[in-house]
Parts: sequence; C-alpha cells; structure tokens
Amino acid sequence: MPELGRAALLVTLGLSMYALVAGAAAAHLGRRRLARSAQNALVASFVTTAVAAAVLLAALLRNDFSFTYVARTTSEALPTAYTISAFWGGQEGSLLLWLLVLTGFGAAAVSLNRGWARDLIVWVVPVFAAVSTFFAFLVVVVASPFATQAAPPDGAGMTPSLQNPYMLAHPPLLYLGYVGLTVPFAFAIGALLSGRLDERWLIATRRWTLFAWAALGIGQLLGSHWAYVEVGWGGYYAWDPVENAALMPWLAATAFLHSVMIQEKRGMLRVWNVLLVILAFSLALFGTFLTRSGVVNSIHSFTQSAIGPWFLAFIALTVAVSLGLVFSRLPQLRSPTKLESPISREAAFLYNNLLLLALCLAILWGVVYPMVSEALRGEAVVLGRSYYDFFLRAFGLPLLLLMGIGPLIAWRRASLTSLATTFRWPTGVALVTGAVLLVLGAGSSIPGLVAYTFSAFVLGTIVMEFARGTRARKALGAASWPSAFGSLISRNRRRYGGYVVHAAIVLLALGVAGSSAFDSVAEAKLARGESMRIGDYTLVYRSLNERATANATEIRATLDVRRGDRELGTLQAGKNAYTIEQQVSNEVGIRSDRLTGEDLFVIAEQIDPDGSIYFRVFVKPLVNLIWLAGLVFLIGSVITLWPDRREQRRLVARASEVGIPATR
Amino acid sequence: MTLALVLAATLAVACVVAVALPFIREPEPASDELDELDDEERVRLGLLEERDRALAALKELEFEHRTGTVSDEDYRAQLGPLRRDVASALQALARDSGEGRPADERN
Amino acid sequence: MARKASPARLVIALSVAGVLAVFLLYTSIAGGGTPSVAPSGLAGRAGDVQLAGLVVGPVRGDAHDGGLRFRLKDISGDSRMSVVVLYTGSVPDLFKVGRHVVVDGELKKGTFVAQPGSMITKCPSKYAPKQSGDSA
Repeated sequence: MPELGRAALLVTLGLSMYALVAGAAAAHLGRRRLARSAQNALVASFVTTAVAAAVLLAALLRNDFSFTYVARTTSEALPTAYTISAFWGGQEGSLLLWLLVLTGFGAAAVSLNRGWARDLIVWVVPVFAAVSTFFAFLVVVVASPFATQAAPPDGAGMTPSLQNPYMLAHPPLLYLGYVGLTVPFAFAIGALLSGRLDERWLIATRRWTLFAWAALGIGQLLGSHWAYVEVGWGGYYAWDPVENAALMPWLAATAFLHSVMIQEKRGMLRVWNVLLVILAFSLALFGTFLTRSGVVNSIHSFTQSAIGPWFLAFIALTVAVSLGLVFSRLPQLRSPTKLESPISREAAFLYNNLLLLALCLAILWGVVYPMVSEALRGEAVVLGRSYYDFFLRAFGLPLLLLMGIGPLIAWRRASLTSLATTFRWPTGVALVTGAVLLVLGAGSSIPGLVAYTFSAFVLGTIVMEFARGTRARKALGAASWPSAFGSLISRNRRRYGGYVVHAAIVLLALGVAGSSAFDSVAEAKLARGESMRIGDYTLVYRSLNERATANATEIRATLDVRRGDRELGTLQAGKNAYTIEQQVSNEVGIRSDRLTGEDLFVIAEQIDPDGSIYFRVFVKPLVNLIWLAGLVFLIGSVITLWPDRREQRRLVARASEVGIPATR
Repeated sequence: MTLALVLAATLAVACVVAVALPFIREPEPASDELDELDDEERVRLGLLEERDRALAALKELEFEHRTGTVSDEDYRAQLGPLRRDVASALQALARDSGEGRPADERN
Repeated sequence: MARKASPARLVIALSVAGVLAVFLLYTSIAGGGTPSVAPSGLAGRAGDVQLAGLVVGPVRGDAHDGGLRFRLKDISGDSRMSVVVLYTGSVPDLFKVGRHVVVDGELKKGTFVAQPGSMITKCPSKYAPKQSGDSA
C-alpha cells in the first residue's frame, strides 16, 4: 500500500499549502467562508497524515520489507513493541510522526479556540499551515517513508541499544514537547499579524505551553534515566549536543512560562514574551536539525544527510520573518507599566528570565562553537564538560535561590523590613542546614554545599507557603486540616501546582549536586573470590555465569555487597553479546539505597578469558532524587494543567461583555 | 495496487469536499464578512482586561495577607493604591459604555 | 511618589554586564576548547586535541593493563594515513574495528596518547544509509 501512503502525504502537502494561501487571503481580506475553508483544510490535513501514518504502522506490523524503511529498521525476530517504536526510530518515520503530531495539535488548537477567538484564529491558521507545509514537503520530496524496493528475506534489524521500553516513551514525549511549542508560536505570530495584541493569545496557549514544556521535561528525564541504567557509563547527562538540543528550548520555555505571569498580572514584558516564544520555537527546530543533520560530533547523531540545509533555511526564514514582524509592531507592543524597583517580584521574575536565558545561550554557544570556529579559523574547536559545568553553576545556583525568593517577595516594591520578616525562617533553616552539612564534610565541594544550602532555603519557603495557606483556609472555615489543604490547592491551582514543580526542581538540584559533587569512584581487577572497597561498601566477586537467550548471550558476574558489617545482598553486572548484530552491550549492576537515595553502581568493564574482571564502581549519593523529581514534576504539572471551571466562566463572561459569542 | 488507488482517490475527494464545504453550504450568504472586533470593541476588551487585572491584584493581596506573606503594615499601604486602580478601571469602562452603544444592543 | 526614570533599564544593563563578566571570567580561567582534528591533520600537532576517526585493526593490548593499541584513519576522504593510538581507561561497548570514535589526547613521539576514559563512539543508527565502513 505504499502508493496510498505517498498519495495521502501528497494530499497533506496540498491541504497545507491551501490552508496557508487561502488562510492568509481570508485573514487579509476578511472573508468568512474562505477562512472556514482554510480551517477545514488544516483539520483535514490531520486526517490524511493519520492515514499515511496508519499505512506505515501496518507495514511495520506485518513486516512488509518491500517498504525500504521497514526493511532498514526492523526484522522478523524483533518483538512487536519495538517494531512499533521503529516508526520513529529512523529519519523518515520520525519526520512523519512530527507531522502527525503537528497537524493533530493544529487541528485541535484551532477547533478549540474557534468559538471565542475567531479573529485571532483566522491568522493562526496560515502560520500553522506554513510550518506543516515545510514538514509535509520534507516527507513528500526529501525523505519519504514510502520508498519501495524488492523485498529482502529479512530486515536489517534494530540496534540492540534501542530495544528497550525507553524507546517507546522517550522520543514520542520529546516530540509532543517540540511540536507543542508550535502552538504558542503560531498564536503569537497570529496575534502580531492581526494586530490583536490583547491577552487572548496568551490565555489560549497557556495550557498548550505548559503541556509541551512538561512533556519536554519528562522526556529528557526519561532519556537521562535511559543513559544511566542502560548505556551505563556511570552518568546521566553528557552535555552531548543532542541532549542540549532538548534542554535549550526547555529553558527558553521555562523563561516564557514565568514572564507570561508578569504580562498577565502587570501588563509588562509584552515584547519580551513574544521574543521568548519565537526563541523557544526556533530552538526546537534547531534542536531537531542538530539531531538529524550530523553537523556535530555526537554520540546520538546520524550522518550527513540531505535534510540539514532545508532545516537551516526554514529556521533562518522563521527567525527573519518573526523578528521583522515584532519590529514592525513594536509601537503597539509597548506597555505603559514600568518596573518600579529592582527589588520586587517583577524584578525577581526578570532576573529569573535573564539567568535562564543566559544559561540557554551559554549552552547554545557551546554547541555551535565547533561550527563557528571551523568557519572562522578552519578548525573545529570543541568545548568540553568543564565549560558547561561552569555555567550551570554560575547561572543555575542563583536561579535555585531565586525560586525561593520570587514567590514571596512583594509586588512593585519590596522594603528591606518586609524582606527580613518574610525570609527570616527559611534563611535560618538554610544557614543551620549549611552549618550542619559543613560539619559533616560537605565542604569538600563548595558548589555542592551552596546547592544544598540554597535547596534547604527553597524547600523552607515551599513548606512555609503550604503550611500558612492551609492554616489560612482552616481559619476561613474548612472542616478539617486535610480538606483545608485540598481546597487550598484546588482553588489556587497555578500557585500551588507551581510550588510542587519548584519542589521537583529542588529535588533535581539535590540529586545532581549529590551525585556529581560528592560521588566517589574506585577501580580494581578482581579474580573470583577477591574483594574491593569503596566508601564503606565492600564488594566480593563470587561467580561468573553465562546464559543464552533468543538473540544474545548474557554474561553476568555476581558480587556480594556489604556495608560495614551488614550484608546487603548480591549485585549482578556484566555484558550481553548480541549474535546477529555482532554487538556487545554493558549491563550495569545498581543497588539503590531506599533510605538515602544513594546508588552503588557497578560496571564490569572488561571480562578476561580466565574469569577475572576489571570493575569500575561508583557511589552516587542522592542520585535517586533525580528520578523522584520526575514524579513530583509530573504531579505539579498535572495540578497546574487541570481545567479550572471558575476561570473558564470568567473568560466566557468577559467575552460576552464585549459581544463575542462564546460558542457557535 | 488498485485498492490503494481507490482509497487514495476517495481520500482526495473527501478532502476537496471538506475544503469546499463552507461554499457549498452557503452559496449566497447574507454577509461574507469575517466576524471581527472593530476598534470600539477592541478598546472595550482592553479596558475589561485592565479591570480584571486590577481585581486579580486586589484578590492576590488579600490572599497573601491572609497567608501572612504580606504584613499588616504593607497590606494597609498597598490596599489604597490597588483599590484606586480598580475604581479607575471601572470608571473607564463606564465612560466607554456611556459613549458607545451598550454591548447588549448589538447583534 | 513618582519616579523619573524606571530602574528597569539599569537593572537589565547591569544584569547583561554581569553575565558577560561571567563569560570573561570563564575564558580567562579555562581558555578555549580542544581542537577537533582528523588523523590526516594530526602530523606535527602539539598539545591536547580531540581526534575523530575510524578504527582500523588489529586491536591489541588491554585498556586496563598497559593500554589498548589500535589505529585510526580518516572517516571520509581519500587519505590512507592512519595514526597509532594508545588508550587506557573505559572502553565503550560499541568499540570495534570500523567504528567511528572520538578520543582526546596528545601526539607524543608518533603515538597518540589518549586521555584515560575519553573515548566515545557514535551510535550506529538507522537514520543514515548504509556506508561501506559499517559492519552492521
């Protein structure tokens, strides 16, 4: 059925181009039926893309190797779940997934907002259509998933390192994030084009931005966890360009989420917000360009392909047009409200934005530096881990502190006495914590100690806020403490959901600080029966076993673990040798301590024929807080995303006051 | 192969119909004008947003006073200006309704 | 109390200056990065570089005992030149003859002595069409 797939994508391209041209004409000329027709085209393009996606999925599931893509990414023996993940495992399929999510989001965003923001939607449609035209063009002309060949007896199979559950969740989540950022971008550009610079574009896209940002964040954490347990080099983030490709738009989106609050409450930062959303979207495109084009040396990257120049051209065009538009609308974007004091909540949010942006740009510079230096000096110069770590500390630590200050400092102008009163308790907690940690030996890493102290401060403010809020609700007449707590959160979802997310970031900071500033490593070559020590752990290498499975030989060393004089059980570490693919993978042994969140991480680096093994062992304090942070982040995001009926009613009431029909 | 072509053709036709639908449904409409906000309405929307923003700021001050983030002294100091903001926003709205046609007389 | 000029501009200017100062601080302490070269461009180079190339056999030795020895040649291009590499430390799983690897180190007396543990390999991925050097 590849012809159906190809035809469906061609129709998608046609519909996108129509939506672009007709939509722009309808918006410019104010033609209602033409505008509706363009909207229908956008929705229809989702249906046709879905048809194409179904064709590819069906071909994968029935192992139809006449599809070149299917033959390249799967094999008969591949389990069904991974066969499905092969959809996004290769260039063409992943582009199709991008297009599917894009058209889906476009259809949804336009349909859901059609009723109350019609004059804005009419401009959003052509912008969305422009983006989907680009991606449709790529899958039709440059990288089609429906190329055919004489079917070989079996496919090439999937790299063993991709055959794990992470492959099912990590890429789709990242795509939901990247593509999701298109929605606020399209609405922002639509608002600029139409001159409708009121709050509606922000209100319409707030949940979309939150959703995309949350998906991007969780997708990255999943990727880190994958790297930690499966790739097993002992770390979870290598500042690899492709990892940074997802981090940069996430940082820009984080800045945007915060500055949007300032625009909502004080009407300030309008130009800034539009620039931020353009940056976030451009970085998302740039990120996928980095991943696909092979332009930088990366552990993920895929070789030089034809797709790079197209992406670069599209990014350049997007940035140029967007900035030109902002510049032309500058007078209308200026807000009358000014920043009154450098010590205020507005200022704190501004510092937050500046720091996030500084970190984002520092990472961007690190990523493009090899390309820039090659262009200027003829030689690619690579910036290493120490560069990124330095800026993460320089900008990240102040950001951490700000997370505790921002929510509590007064609006407009904060007096020093009010600061002293508000922050007395959390500062006390932080100083005591810092002193105790110093005594316990945390002075071995100053950045680590600072991170711990700042985290204590922020956690103190969060606990204080929850406690005082619950007490206030109880005083207002809540039946019991739990119901006071519950109603506090449900009536103030954005604020307290935000606090939960902040708590997640603190957990993340603690986990990262602990596992990178206070970790230890030991290496030893052990014969059977020999032992090694690290920290207060003792490991004894007991035995070596081999086991054959369907597609691999599994070799595992068993070690006894002891801490002090307590037996802690056994640990297994070794390698898998995949027969068909002729590859070896590392299978690390991890023992997580429930109480302290510490990990004992064992790598069997080299297994000699006589059974002696070269082991590399890490102790990583607090590392499991990172994964816990992911869970807390998810909870916080859900709370803030949860629909708020009261807010909805207020918006509908406001719309009808102006005479905009709320539904039709 | 033919099945694929038939399906593809059906898909294409369906899409053309979807796109042409607004024109098929209303071949001779009373008005083809896009329902847009005119300048008056846009000004009014801006004023409404100002009012809602001032009200929200007041509400937030109350909340933060109740939870203890804002001290009694600061609360008293900020209450006045915020109440004045709300009042001037409401006044501006009233002036706007007085000048233009009232909202419920339209459409 | 009316203010004549908003401190916003001052705040932003100072913050930007602060950020730039941090950048300058970094570059003055740590200097630039490591140049990335191919084996054919290595001859006569002094100092730390990052070498990227294709692994050429035979691979001999033990990375944890005396050092692993292999050769690296250019990934693309016609150069038949290859460089001897002496590597100690962790060897990534994907390492084998024909793989594209990147390793940091210094050229010392004709042998490229790698920094321990600095090797990374590229994931052979189905994003790329099959190349003649690929064995999988």
